[in-house]
Amino acid sequence: MKKQKIAKALLVTLIIALLGVLFMIPLVWMVLSSLKNANEVFATEFHWLPSEFRWSNYVEVWTSKDMSLVQAYLNSFFIVVFATVGQLVIAAYAAFAFAKINFKGKNFIFMLFLSSMMIPTQVTIIPRFMMFKEMGLYNKLFSIILPSWFGATAIFMLRQFFMGLPDDLMDAAKIDGAGYLRIFHTIMLPLTKPAMVSLIVLSFIASWNEYLSPMIFLTEKTKYTVAQAIRWYLLDQLSRYDLTMACATSAIVPVIILFIVCQKYFVEGIATSGLKG
Amino acid sequence: MSKILSKTDASGARRLRHQQQRNENIIGYVFVTPALLAFLMFIAFPFFFSLFLSLTEWNFLSGIQNLKFVGLENFRELLRDRRFGKAFFNTFTYALATVPTSILIALVLAYLLNGKVYGKKLLRLFFFIPYISSAVALSAVFKFMFREDGIINNILMSLHIVTSPVKWFTNPQLNKVPIVLLLIWTAIGYELIIYMAALQNIPKSLLEASELDGATGFRQFVHITFPLISPTTFYLVIVRLISAFKVFSAIDVMTLGSKALDNTSMVVQIYDEAFTKYNFGYASAEAVVLFAVILIITLINFWGQKKWVHY
Repeated sequence: MKKQKIAKALLVTLIIALLGVLFMIPLVWMVLSSLKNANEVFATEFHWLPSEFRWSNYVEVWTSKDMSLVQAYLNSFFIVVFATVGQLVIAAYAAFAFAKINFKGKNFIFMLFLSSMMIPTQVTIIPRFMMFKEMGLYNKLFSIILPSWFGATAIFMLRQFFMGLPDDLMDAAKIDGAGYLRIFHTIMLPLTKPAMVSLIVLSFIASWNEYLSPMIFLTEKTKYTVAQAIRWYLLDQLSRYDLTMACATSAIVPVIILFIVCQKYFVEGIATSGLKG
Repeated sequence: MSKILSKTDASGARRLRHQQQRNENIIGYVFVTPALLAFLMFIAFPFFFSLFLSLTEWNFLSGIQNLKFVGLENFRELLRDRRFGKAFFNTFTYALATVPTSILIALVLAYLLNGKVYGKKLLRLFFFIPYISSAVALSAVFKFMFREDGIINNILMSLHIVTSPVKWFTNPQLNKVPIVLLLIWTAIGYELIIYMAALQNIPKSLLEASELDGATGFRQFVHITFPLISPTTFYLVIVRLISAFKVFSAIDVMTLGSKALDNTSMVVQIYDEAFTKYNFGYASAEAVVLFAVILIITLINFWGQKKWVHY
């Protein structure tokens, strides 16, 4: 009986592992191609491994003067940091108010926020384009950052979280004469850490991978994000497939590292925001 | 005497409560205002402005003075527009081809991963990575892999499945295949997370009870597990449909350099109309159609949550 169970577990593991390997093939191909010579990527006689591992491709991509990946990385990080911090700070205040403060019109505003989830970015992007042109934000990194400061999912998740915290916690502080601001900063906010980490990871990944808005709002090469750098290599006349793949690999690596480090928080974040959304 | 005292007490308490409520109102608004401002500026205002623009004929480059109000003319034109019709049809095809397939695979995987498996965490990672990775990077990889001289054809030919290279991008019958495969590949990670969480929430006692009644393996899955997670399946169908209707980067990247009309999607069409032709009026009408589709899916969600989900 026990042996049978182990055999079954091994078989299931094997099946999933095979599928997992299949899932990884495109990424393995990407990494190997990034180490090949440009002609080798589409050689008539296909080999998985490069004839020699050309790590110099990475040096070339990272030091390229035509399309500076360093600059693109800095731009992407700048966007990610300011988008995430702005979104979470603003969301935390709003979520706390929705969960713990009784103010007039609260439900109406909350419903308004929730209904915004139905409006895709693609529907609002034309007026935003006009607005940013008017405000002088066109071709500025802040044109990507500012719209993400309203995060309905973050507000919703943090509200759920605050609602789960007992009111006694607040009442005790109130008796001691603490105002809402102090209660929020000293008691409530520190408790949100696990939810916050999940949200940081989610927001990081979302803004790091964003493509449509940067494509529309950031037109100067010095403002490009990493995603746009890949696009630049795809359009480049020189058809450096090896460098394109080196650039793609460079774009994926930070997200995978972040994911492995924060896997637990990420999975919890998706699971809770997903199941309750 | 005591009567009077209690009366002033009561009114004082009421005044205090009144005062407190006012304070709560003020502090509540202080906390919500930043979010409200961002919402009004980046969601509400642009949304209504889009609705307005959809009723106009206007090229951005011609200046605001040439904006012409045309009522529903754009929408009438959309009905006749074969390009948009094609994009609309394609978007539905992408949604219908990717959503059920990816959800089914994710369900089976989640079910298997939920049982006794070695190296669960590592295995899970294989399926998550495509989901979290940059869609542009992955699309670029697929664009290369499916080239005529790419690895996919290489493998198919060495296995003698095909005799000559398949033209994945230029053959109109096949050019959706790479896109659909990419969308399925990248969607599974998300669905897997949600399903695994749902499976973990099923009370063990229920499964044990059904085992005592003789339901094991496949039968248990069909009669107990699957109905119990039907809300999750329903939720995933809705979320996935919505994101499938917004598909953009995969198609943009794969058609870069060779603008094939055949596989465009609604968002690609909106982008093209708005930011290569600058027809903001017409593009807004297209965006409003996209919004309407998503609105309908969301309404089905509200309605269906009550009706279709049962255990």
